[in-house]
Amino acid sequence: MKISDIIASANSNLFRNKTRTFLTILAVFIGSFTIILNSAINTGVNSYIDKQLEAAGGEGYLEIMTNEAVDIMSSMMSSSSEVKEYREASGNDQKSTYITDEQIEKARQIPGLESIDLIYSANPEYIKAKDSDKKFAVTNLNLMPRGNVNLDTTAGRKPDANTDKLEVALTEAYVNALGFSSDEDAIGKIVTFAVPNTVECYMVSKHSDCLKMVDAEVVGVQAPSIMAMGGMRANLALNQKIYDLATDGMPEEAKRHAFQATAQVDPEKIDEIKEKLKEVGLAAMTIDDEVGMIKVFFDAILVVFSIFGGIALLAASIGIINTLFMSVQERTREIGLMKAMGMSNGKIFFSFSCEAILLGFWGSVVGVVFSMIIGTIGDKIAHESFLKDFPTFELVKFDPINMLVIVLIIMFIAFLAGTLPARRAAKKDPIDALRYE
Amino acid sequence: MEKVIEAKNLKKVYGKKSAVFTALKGVDLDIYEGESVAIVGKSGSGKSTLMHLLALLDTPTSGTIKIDGEESTKLSKKELNKLRNSRFGFVFQQFFMNPKDTVLNNVVLPLKIAGISRKKRKQLAMDALKIVDLESKAKNKATDLSGGQKQRVCIARAIVNNPKIIFADEPTGNLDSATGDKITDLLFDLNKKQGVTLIVVTHDEDLAKLCQRIVRISDGKIIADNSVRKDTAKKASERREKEAARVKKANEKEAK
Ligand SMILES: Nc1ncnc2c1ncn2[C@@H]1O[C@H](COP(=O)(O)OP(=O)(O)OP(=O)(O)O)[C@@H](O)[C@H]1O
Ligand SMILES: [Mg+2]
Repeated sequence: MKISDIIASANSNLFRNKTRTFLTILAVFIGSFTIILNSAINTGVNSYIDKQLEAAGGEGYLEIMTNEAVDIMSSMMSSSSEVKEYREASGNDQKSTYITDEQIEKARQIPGLESIDLIYSANPEYIKAKDSDKKFAVTNLNLMPRGNVNLDTTAGRKPDANTDKLEVALTEAYVNALGFSSDEDAIGKIVTFAVPNTVECYMVSKHSDCLKMVDAEVVGVQAPSIMAMGGMRANLALNQKIYDLATDGMPEEAKRHAFQATAQVDPEKIDEIKEKLKEVGLAAMTIDDEVGMIKVFFDAILVVFSIFGGIALLAASIGIINTLFMSVQERTREIGLMKAMGMSNGKIFFSFSCEAILLGFWGSVVGVVFSMIIGTIGDKIAHESFLKDFPTFELVKFDPINMLVIVLIIMFIAFLAGTLPARRAAKKDPIDALRYE
Repeated sequence: MEKVIEAKNLKKVYGKKSAVFTALKGVDLDIYEGESVAIVGKSGSGKSTLMHLLALLDTPTSGTIKIDGEESTKLSKKELNKLRNSRFGFVFQQFFMNPKDTVLNNVVLPLKIAGISRKKRKQLAMDALKIVDLESKAKNKATDLSGGQKQRVCIARAIVNNPKIIFADEPTGNLDSATGDKITDLLFDLNKKQGVTLIVVTHDEDLAKLCQRIVRISDGKIIADNSVRKDTAKKASERREKEAARVKKANEKEAK
C-alpha cells in the first residue's frame, strides 16, 4: 500500500465517525491553542522587551558611575534605619562622585574596551521649529550614547554618535506640537534649542538675554515606550554643544562635572572588564543587571500557562488513545480482512499511527488558525485600549517557525499516543479478527 | 497437472492445557491447478480451519503445506503477504465489507494494498464489477446493497487481483437458493473460463455436487475424497451444465 493511500484512507476513516473525531480534535485543539497563543504572546512580549532593552543598551553596553556614587545611591535606597558612624572622606567627598579624566584614561587602557564617553547633562529650556516662534518646554533630553544601543523608531533612524553634525530624535508628542504633519514629515527638519548659560544668567536682568540658540536636525522619531527611556534623544555632538553653551565662562575645573559615563566593550570579556573598571574606581552595570528582572517575571507567567497547555495536551493524548482503541475494536474484522489480503503488520501499524498523527495535525492546525484569529483580535482591542500609546508593542507575535515546531511536536505527541492502539491493531491475528463477531 | 497446494499430515490444536481441542487430526490433501474442490462436512468438523491453513491465514500445529512446491514455512512475511495479495482471492460467508464505503472502494482494496496506481486500480475494479454485473452500483454505499449483491461485490473483490486460487467459505450460506445459484454460476464460470482453482467450503450438497471433487471431512479427518475418479472432470462439467440449465429454467419461470 502506498504511503499516500494510507494517509488518504486514514483521513477518511477518521471522518467516518465524525462526532468522536471532532471531540478528540477539540481536545487537542484546546491544548494546542493554549500553547500556541502563549508562545505568540511570549514572542511578542519578549521581542518588545528586547527592543526596549536594546534601546537601553544591548550586548557589551555598560553604564558607569564611580564606586562612591553607587554607594551613596544604595544607601539612599536602602530602608535600613541603622545609623552609621561618621567617617571623614579622604578627599573632596562631593568630587569623588564625579568621574575624573584620570579614571577615563585608565579605563581606556583596559583591553576589550572599545569606547567610553562621559555623559554631561544637557538641559535646554525650550525647543521650537526653526522657522516658527512657538516654543515648547523641554523636560527631558537624553543622550543617545555610542555603542550597542538601539532606538525603537517610528520614522527615521537613531542619532549618530560618530558625527559632528548636531542630530536629535523627537518623540511623537513633540512632532505634533512642533507642527509637523507626520513622523516622516519631521525627518530632515531643523529645530532650535534654547540653552541658558549658567554664568550669564546670574548677571542679566532679562532671562531671554542669557539664552543661547543651537540648531539640530531631526533624524528620527522614537516610538513610545513603557520603560523610562522616554524623552528626546541628542547625539553626542549635540549633547556636548548644549553642555558647552550652558557652561561657557565657567572655570575649566567646574566644567568637567560628569558623574556618569557609557562604554561599549567586547561582550565576551564583560566580566573581566567590569572587574578592571572596579579597580579604577568605576562601577559598571549592564542593562540586564538593571532590567533583566522584567523578562524573568514575564517568562515565569508564561511558563505557568505553558504548563496548563501541556496538561491539556496530556488529556488530549489520552483522548487519542481512547479514540483509536475504539476504532481498532470496531474495525477488528476490517483489519483481519486487510491482513488476509496481504497487508503487512507494519502498514497496519502505520495506518493507525497515521490516524493519531492526523488527529494531532488537525487539532494543532485548528489551534494555530484560532489562536491567530483570537490573537489578532486581542491585539487590536489592546491597542485600542491599554496599549493605545505603544503602537510598536505587538502583544502577540506569530513566528511561523515557532508555529511549525509546535504543530510538529503535537503531531509527534499524537503519534506516541497512537502507538499503543496501533500496536494492538498490528498484532491482531487475521483469523481471530475474521472470526470476531 | 500441477499441484498448487500440497498439505501433509496437517494438525491443528486450539486452546491450552485443560481446554485443548484438536480441530484437525492429520489431514493430507493435494489440490491441482484448475480444479474445483468442495470441502464438505458437519458444522464444527474443521472445514474452515482447514481452509484457513490452506490459504496460509493460519499456521498448523504440525504438518507441512507447500504452495507451488514451496514449503510455506520458508516464506518470509513479505513473500507471504505478496502471495496472499496476488495469488489468492477470498470470499467469506459474512461478506466482510466496509459497509460505509462505496462498492468500488471495497472492490479496490486488494489492489490498494498491492500499491497499484489510482487510475489502474479503478479500471481493474470496474472490470471485476462488470463480471459480476454490478458496474451500475460502483458508486453506491456497500450497505445499501441486497445480500446477493453484496456477495457479488465480494466475488468482484476476490477476483480483482486476477488470483490463481479462490477460497470461498460458505459463499452461498447467507443467501436464498436462487441468489445462491447466481453466485455459484459466477464462481464456476471463473473456474471454467479462466482456469482459476476453486476451493469451496460448504455444507450444501447441491453446491458440492457441482465441483469436480468432493472432500468430506468429519471430526478433523478426511473420510472421503473422490479425486481418484478419472472421469471426474467430464462428469462434473456435464452435471454443471445440467444444473445451469435447471437454474435458467427456474429463473425464467420466476420472471414470468
Ligand atoms: N480459535 C479457536 N479456539 C478454540 N476452538 C476453536 C477455534 N476455532 C475453531 N475452533 C473449534 O474447532 C472446530 C472446527 O472449527 P471450524 O470453524 O473449522 O468448523 P467448521 O467445520 O467450519 O464449522 P461450520 O460449518 O460451523 O463453519 C470447532 O469445534 C470449533 O469450536
Ligand atoms: Mg466454518
